[in-house]
Amino acid sequence: MNPPNLQALQGGDAAEWDLAFRWLWPAAFGAAQVVLQPCLPAEVEDVAIESLEELVEGVRSLSSAEELRPLLAGIAHNRAVSRLRQFYAAKRGAGKTESYEAKQEACGDLPEAIAPDDPVGALEHKELAERLGQLLAELKPPQGQMLADFFLRRLTYEDIAKKHAVAPGTVGVYLKRGLAAMRRVWGPGGKDV
Amino acid sequence: MNDQEFFDLALKVIGARASDAEREQLEMLLASRPDMKTQFEEIRGDARLAKKVLPLMEAVESSSGEFPAYARERLLTKVRQTLGQPRPARTKRGWNWRWALGFAVGAAAVVLLLLPMLTRPAEPIIQVAMLDTAGPVRGEGSDLDALKAQWKHSEVRTFDKAGPLDTWTTNWPSGAKVAAKVIYDRAAGEVRVILYGPGKPVAKTFSVGQDLAATLRQATGFIQEQTGK
Repeated sequence: MNPPNLQALQGGDAAEWDLAFRWLWPAAFGAAQVVLQPCLPAEVEDVAIESLEELVEGVRSLSSAEELRPLLAGIAHNRAVSRLRQFYAAKRGAGKTESYEAKQEACGDLPEAIAPDDPVGALEHKELAERLGQLLAELKPPQGQMLADFFLRRLTYEDIAKKHAVAPGTVGVYLKRGLAAMRRVWGPGGKDV
Repeated sequence: MNDQEFFDLALKVIGARASDAEREQLEMLLASRPDMKTQFEEIRGDARLAKKVLPLMEAVESSSGEFPAYARERLLTKVRQTLGQPRPARTKRGWNWRWALGFAVGAAAVVLLLLPMLTRPAEPIIQVAMLDTAGPVRGEGSDLDALKAQWKHSEVRTFDKAGPLDTWTTNWPSGAKVAAKVIYDRAAGEVRVILYGPGKPVAKTFSVGQDLAATLRQATGFIQEQTGK
């Protein structure tokens, strides 16, 4: 599916929004899931819907349809982080319950998503969206896919070489260039935030 | 060992993909070359950032996951409340569908003008209606006035739902040799004219610009042209 018509969205065209919600949903759901899945999986869908509502409120500030998904992912991520912080704040407060105890046990003391030095959680959603958009433009295929294969899917250099039909010796080159692009956008180790 | 080789070795260790021999090689290297520790820490920082950012990147590019149907109305309500509801494209698409069903579905308010057959038997019967699905809004009264002014002898019918309008649209006056139905659809911004006569029904749609009265005059002209009256 192609990106929706931004002008129609900004004009409140219900039919265009109806299509756009389906196109946008995976970005909202995925970004919320990254943060909430380990501790609060039942909240993921709710946060995704709230994020779409916030996107509706902010759509008139956009100048390109390409900005929609990064912005939505930024909104969803930050809303999910807030939800997680509320959960831990409630845990510390008087309202703690047995189920919270059980959840915290499953999630650990403090998830990295709400750690004070988290390189992503510290950004406002607009800035986060801008950086995601820049990074999408910076990463030349297959750098992004190879980085995800190594860091998220935990494939070995050899597995990645087979998957992308390249020589094993070139995998490290792609990964190095991909990380360099990430550093250019985000700062070394995310230290610009 | 060149830069790329060091990077590969460091990344494998950081990513827990190194063998015992590779881990040992890196430890020895860092012990003998303290200047490489900085480089190693940079790669570790980059790896940490990648683990945080890549899931978001994947979310942005993802196309899997089904939008829950229950969220649709809630979100469309948000759209209406936040961005208003100017003539939705859906209304126009729906209108094409209605034409295909024999002009069965309408939008806002209808005005009907019926000219007495007994006194002027040769004149077409003209029925006028307005469909206004949005309910009473500013400007509705003046639109009705414009319709009444154009067809002074007609009753003005108003509908707020498409169903009753459809019934009205297909219900032609008995005994009429020539009749016309004029439907002003406020939401679609259109005036539709349907002529019923000895042959097949004839229809024409006029877009309403800034001046409704001018569009209604065009509709009258079309009726006169088609009926010769």
